[in-house]
Amino acid sequence: MPSAGSDPMLEIFRRSLLRIFSNRVPANTIFTGMLKEEWRVHSTLFGSAGFAIFPLLLVLLSFAGAFFWPIFSDVLPSQTAVALIHGCYLLAGASVGAFGLFGREVMNRRFGQASLIAYSSRSLPVSEQSILLAFFLKDTVYYFFFWVLPFVGGLAFAAPWIGLPIPSVLRLLATLSLSFLTGLSIVFLLSTVYVHSPRLLLALFIAAGGGVLIFARSVNMGVTGLLPPLGFYEHPTLLLLLVTLLLIIVPCAISVRFMKVEYREETRRFPRTLDSIAGRLAWLPDPHLVAKDALDLSRSEGGAGKVVFSFLFPVMFIWIALFILLRFIPMLSQLMVFAILLGVVSSTIYNWVTEFDLFASYAFLPVETGTVIRGKLESYGLLNVVSIAILVAAGLGTGQVALLIPALLTFASISFYAVAVTVYVGGLSPSIMLYNAKVYVPYLGLITPVLLSLLFISLPDPWFALSSLCLIPPGYYILRKAFSRWSAVEQPGF
Amino acid sequence: MESIIDVKGLTRKFGDVTAVNNISLSVRKGELFGLLGPNGSGKTTMIKCLTGQLKPTEGGIRVMGIDVVQQPVRVREVVGITPEQETPPSFLTAEEYLHFVGHVRRIQDIEAQCSFWFDFLEFGDKRDVLCKDLSRGTRQKLMVAQAFLHRPELVFIDEPLINLDPLMQRKIKNYLTDYVKGEGTVFISTHILEIAEEICTRIGIIHGGNLVREGPLADLRASSKNLEEVFLDAIRGERPDA
Repeated sequence: MPSAGSDPMLEIFRRSLLRIFSNRVPANTIFTGMLKEEWRVHSTLFGSAGFAIFPLLLVLLSFAGAFFWPIFSDVLPSQTAVALIHGCYLLAGASVGAFGLFGREVMNRRFGQASLIAYSSRSLPVSEQSILLAFFLKDTVYYFFFWVLPFVGGLAFAAPWIGLPIPSVLRLLATLSLSFLTGLSIVFLLSTVYVHSPRLLLALFIAAGGGVLIFARSVNMGVTGLLPPLGFYEHPTLLLLLVTLLLIIVPCAISVRFMKVEYREETRRFPRTLDSIAGRLAWLPDPHLVAKDALDLSRSEGGAGKVVFSFLFPVMFIWIALFILLRFIPMLSQLMVFAILLGVVSSTIYNWVTEFDLFASYAFLPVETGTVIRGKLESYGLLNVVSIAILVAAGLGTGQVALLIPALLTFASISFYAVAVTVYVGGLSPSIMLYNAKVYVPYLGLITPVLLSLLFISLPDPWFALSSLCLIPPGYYILRKAFSRWSAVEQPGF
Repeated sequence: MESIIDVKGLTRKFGDVTAVNNISLSVRKGELFGLLGPNGSGKTTMIKCLTGQLKPTEGGIRVMGIDVVQQPVRVREVVGITPEQETPPSFLTAEEYLHFVGHVRRIQDIEAQCSFWFDFLEFGDKRDVLCKDLSRGTRQKLMVAQAFLHRPELVFIDEPLINLDPLMQRKIKNYLTDYVKGEGTVFISTHILEIAEEICTRIGIIHGGNLVREGPLADLRASSKNLEEVFLDAIRGERPDA
């Protein structure tokens, strides 16, 4: 093991590693145990085959997507495309890190009183820090094989045909892994700060984000400077590698040192608010179901933090990516394309409202599956106020007031279609079901052609994107199918 | 006496496994019927079929005159159910959960009902606690309370007392006994023989999905010293290796 030198953060990291790999608890016991757990959690949910095929599907998608590259390369420089891919992996790492915020509650709801190794420091002779670091290492290995390697593998297979040099592919494998780890590590840090103080997180977010932007502008730093793994891809120097590794290790070490694992012994008490919320929502068909969703979201771990990590970050990324693309595709309407993509991304809101519920909780009450799904869709509709506010802010902020109404209509119709597809393939457990290749393929099949068609249609004239209104009838049809499909699944035979 | 549950040739299969095999059964109004059986014998599957949560593979079920296969939601409207495993939603408080159920069941006097059950089951001090932070015993009290909120004529209870202390067990046993005296009907499933022996008026013993004994408690005990012997005889008689 390398010496950490005099850096206190590296020293913390080194000590934690030593603790894991000490004789008290063999490394294999925690680390391999966590790997097995991760596999079994997923394979229990949708079968080993469905889960195992998922990376193969990514290989296939990446392989097929690579052949489109010669077409896109006419308008999009390869540097920009590589930057966007690195950004996507940064975001993927961030989303995995964010799961740590409320993953335990989700697990408990899915499996009853879930007990994972990650939660077992009270009963094992091993510290919470050591377990957390092992968890970080497990995520690193697991997602490398699950997300990074399949994507780069697909590119590698296509490389001879599209003229991609193999050394570049190998470098991409390393730098995408580093991008993923950067996202994971930074969000681990942010979530650690959040657990201590949400206000401190906001202050840190503003200070760090503002500081970086001001610094980047003052020294005229490009995207490669802001994302060191990308810089390392383009200019593989020892200094950039060191900076990249520090950007991963230091936040991780701080998180491991200061992570506050809450074993809530105290009972949480709340005044009765279900009825008052339901009263305000009395105009909806199922106000009590929606009120329950509202309380699930606000009282579960992470609270509003869930919104920041799982929705606003991807949306911010899309906006920035479009801003970059605009330099290369001038005819692109940033607002309209943003509305189209926001419509698809907003369907992930449906995941939030289904995260803490199972139909089994309603099965012994006089409630039908369709009623529960309808309630979730009502919650989805209400929460989409966030998406609408973002779109309005984007329209007003960029002075594209004339396009605001068509952008809102486009967003609404795509969002409706996308959520209909999500309900059809995922029912009341979309966030888990979409990891199943057998579910993910039809999801992609129903979303991707529509999305690409609308993007192309909107290029010559942004108003053409209003053709998305044609999605409402098929969306309605899919939704009706979804209701009968999931009623049959949740209550077989009836 | 009027029959409130009528089961004819009920079979429920899960793939190759037959969880409930060709069971016919009748429960009369005012009975406290106990379905006994070892773990995995088919008790919970049976209750789920009777309450419209699982569709039978074969056979017919009528509960309170309603065809369960045709109108599963209607059955769940009129009966009360305490499931064995399901816990209340994590992020509602105990009181909010009862109000939630009250709304689903369209109960008018929900405040009075809640007050009664919090007092009777002695957990009023936990009414504002999140369900996920309640002890197992308190969650079980909550699940018992939600089943009786709408004053049903028929209640299904799956393993009713397993997490409760002896004092609360006694209280609920007395309540169930009084409940059937007041013309209510209770169908409980349990593997704790003492509960059945103490409060049930009629017993069915299920093993390997088959109903191997059924009758009034007094009749079943006539040939044996106690219910335990009846139970063991019934189970051994079914086991080829016994």
